[in-house]
Amino acid sequence: MTILDVKNLKKIYTTRFGGTQVQALSDVTFSVERGEFIAIMGESGSGKTTLLNILASLDKPTRGEVRLGGKNLADVKEKDIAAFRRDNLGFVFQDFNLLDTFSVGDNVLLPLVLAGVNHKEMEARLLQIAKKLGISDILKKFPYEVSGGQKQRTAIARALITAPQLVLADEPTGALDSNSAGSLLNLFSRINAEGQTILMVTHSVMAASHAKRILFIRDGEVFHQLYRGEMSNEALYQKISGTLTMLATGGERNA
Amino acid sequence: MRKRSFYPKLAVMNIKNNGKFYFPYLATCVFTIAMFYINVFIKTNEGIMTMPGADTLESFLGFGIVIIGIFAAIFLFYTNSFLMKRRKKEIGLYNILGMGKRHIAKMLFYETVVTGIAVIVIGLGVGILLSKLVLLLLIKLLRFSVPFGFTVSGAGISASLILFAVIFVLILLFNLLQIRLSKPIELLKGGDVGQREPKTKVILTAFGIIALAAAYWIAITTKSPIQAVFLFFISVVLVIVGTYALFTTGSITALKLMRRNKKFYYQTKHFTAVSGMIYRMKQNAVGLANICILSTMVLVTLSTTVALYVGIEDILSARYANDISVTLMSPDEGMREQTVKKVKQLVSAHGLKPTNWLDYTALSLSAKHESGVFTADSANYSGVQSACWLMLVTAPDYERMTGEETALAPGEVLIYSLGPEPGDNIELFKMPFTVKRHLTGFPAANKNEARIYAIYCIVVPDETTLRVIYDKQTEAYGTNRSEITGYIKMDIDGEDEKIIDCAKAIESALTATSIITDKNGNARTVTEHLAYVECKQAASADTYAVYGSFLFLGIFLGSLFLMATILIIYYKQITEGYSDKNRFAIMQNVGMSRQEVRQSIRSQVLTVFFLPLAAACLHIAFAFSIIVRILALFELTNVPLFFRCTVDTIAVFGIFYALIYAVTARVYYKIVS
Repeated sequence: MTILDVKNLKKIYTTRFGGTQVQALSDVTFSVERGEFIAIMGESGSGKTTLLNILASLDKPTRGEVRLGGKNLADVKEKDIAAFRRDNLGFVFQDFNLLDTFSVGDNVLLPLVLAGVNHKEMEARLLQIAKKLGISDILKKFPYEVSGGQKQRTAIARALITAPQLVLADEPTGALDSNSAGSLLNLFSRINAEGQTILMVTHSVMAASHAKRILFIRDGEVFHQLYRGEMSNEALYQKISGTLTMLATGGERNA
Repeated sequence: MRKRSFYPKLAVMNIKNNGKFYFPYLATCVFTIAMFYINVFIKTNEGIMTMPGADTLESFLGFGIVIIGIFAAIFLFYTNSFLMKRRKKEIGLYNILGMGKRHIAKMLFYETVVTGIAVIVIGLGVGILLSKLVLLLLIKLLRFSVPFGFTVSGAGISASLILFAVIFVLILLFNLLQIRLSKPIELLKGGDVGQREPKTKVILTAFGIIALAAAYWIAITTKSPIQAVFLFFISVVLVIVGTYALFTTGSITALKLMRRNKKFYYQTKHFTAVSGMIYRMKQNAVGLANICILSTMVLVTLSTTVALYVGIEDILSARYANDISVTLMSPDEGMREQTVKKVKQLVSAHGLKPTNWLDYTALSLSAKHESGVFTADSANYSGVQSACWLMLVTAPDYERMTGEETALAPGEVLIYSLGPEPGDNIELFKMPFTVKRHLTGFPAANKNEARIYAIYCIVVPDETTLRVIYDKQTEAYGTNRSEITGYIKMDIDGEDEKIIDCAKAIESALTATSIITDKNGNARTVTEHLAYVECKQAASADTYAVYGSFLFLGIFLGSLFLMATILIIYYKQITEGYSDKNRFAIMQNVGMSRQEVRQSIRSQVLTVFFLPLAAACLHIAFAFSIIVRILALFELTNVPLFFRCTVDTIAVFGIFYALIYAVTARVYYKIVS
């Protein structure tokens, strides 16, 4: 079943006084099936972040449409968009984006509190998710008291607690050392294996090699894609590296 | 080669780029300088110093100058430190880009020179322009009508120049020292120091509650005006201590308690607000306590001075029960009659007709009263609560004034009590008397004075009894004894000037002037006052001068404190805005709608904003009764009037406060979104 359907997405940024126009996305089309783990790769300026912002309904496309769970994002009313985002999407950011005024546990609970879930249910879901992510011991601590890896796991717990249709991750390993990054990616694979659909934007080959499918974006288009198939992480790593080299040196389009 | 104009240009550019922070700072400087100039201008204005009561005004203004001077220094330092904190990053960047500390110093020097010259020039300009207006206001307040030309005060200009030049130099030195002591990396990091969750401090919270409760208790329970003055200062100190303690620790304790209540805490509305407030309070508690205390000061100063001024007529009628009153020192029977005749003649010679004429002889003295026993108040203020004022009159005088038959036998008295009832058997300086009748009124009693201390008017059978009591009190008081005094009191219908002239004529008629030639043959004029003459109409001018000066200074200092309040709030909110920006961006990503974000911001900002004002109003509500008692010392006893003045002052202050809120909130939203 298709969860996310992106069709002919185009985004043009116009400078404030209508001067120059910058085309961030020219024509992006792809779809995501339930249970997939997709990595989107591309160089800086290739349009990754723009694409993610549009998927997250934080930005609107100039043309084209995005359907999430069959619903066109353009049809969601402005006042419902926050609730829609809260119920259907989970976010994981490069710099964690934890609120320093909340304890780790409260950070995880934030989306549920915003959704007005009752307190008993919240507690139960928190304990369950904290156990899964190995943060049960630090729930009472504050973000400045825990390590980077723990912060990122907290952010993932926050993204998962609403049981969203799709988790969007923006460079989730960007601010982590290689050890923490490794265990985080394994965590992603495990969550995915339990059925969670994940879409991750990254330019780390290491991170991408954990995905099931890799989309390569260049100049605002999906330029190429790779399927894992039966490959191991290491083999996929090699393949991605090769593709990137090819992209950088300018190869033929093959999407 | 660098051009010579490089640093001045850089300085101007920096000021422009930091406009959002610099502008309020510069505006404060201009305002403070203008106020300082105006104050000096009025103090040295020759025209105004010719008016009655000028001495009072001058000393008040001298006081004002000192306060504004000290305040300006503290306040400019405060805002400057805020500016420097904001700019650390920028300066660190210059440092890393290759500017040595010497160059930065040069840049700061030019910045100070540019801003200093600009604000002093503009401030003096504004001061000179406004000085005439303020002078007119003052003259109106003092009811003094002399036309003034437009003048510029040289003393004002030079005093302002010197004071503010010194302040700016000190600020520059302080900034240079700071730059010198810091490392570039520290500068770059600037304000972003990680913040920890504040700790709950139960003991300090309890201490704050106790201090505040004690202060409130004192304020409510103090009954004696004389005690009130002393206790008022104690309770002011307690309120200040309590306010600081409760703002810094009490607020956090309360918020943490809220957080512990999970049902309450995990609701959309409370969740972000409670946790956000914990951090806000940690950073702003001291600032908010400052604002609270400043606001309370503004409100108390303004409401009391306004009430005193508006209540001048009340005060005059309390202090001066009659239009003209003549007090004769140790009169004998013949002299009183003679004087009465003379005064009557003079009044009618001025074409005036006295109404409510009273003349009598009385012994007035202070005493200590405990259930009917009146003893000497040995002036060791321990028993101020039982202090009272006695007025002893003879039966013949009383009969003459009222036309009532007293038929007092020796050992019997009539008594009129304004205070605790003494009972039917009293003792005056160890002499027992039986009260024949409790009177319901007394011709010469001034009820308004009874609000400060109890008053007892006692009618004794005859002159002999009066003499005996006089001797007894002489034994008790010694040289502090009171004398038997003659009084002539009257009200007069007519023009004020005529009445004042009449009073003057009476005074000079009762002043004996004789020329004495001493041993060496030098002639000397000796003036002997046989009587004191008081005239309500003449006193009115003096009173207006005094209370008008009070009010003027109240408004002046009030607006200064108000400005300080405004600026502290403004800077607080801007700092908050920058640290909140990030937080609200995250919340939006996590699924908070723009509207929810706005609401959350509004409720937090509103709380932070109006908490100090609410606390200030609470302080004033509790202080009300003690201030009423103190005002009684100034002979203002019109409580409804004071209440109205207080409410009005709070309303006006509240409007200003709301305006600042509107402006600040706009700037804040701009930063956050």
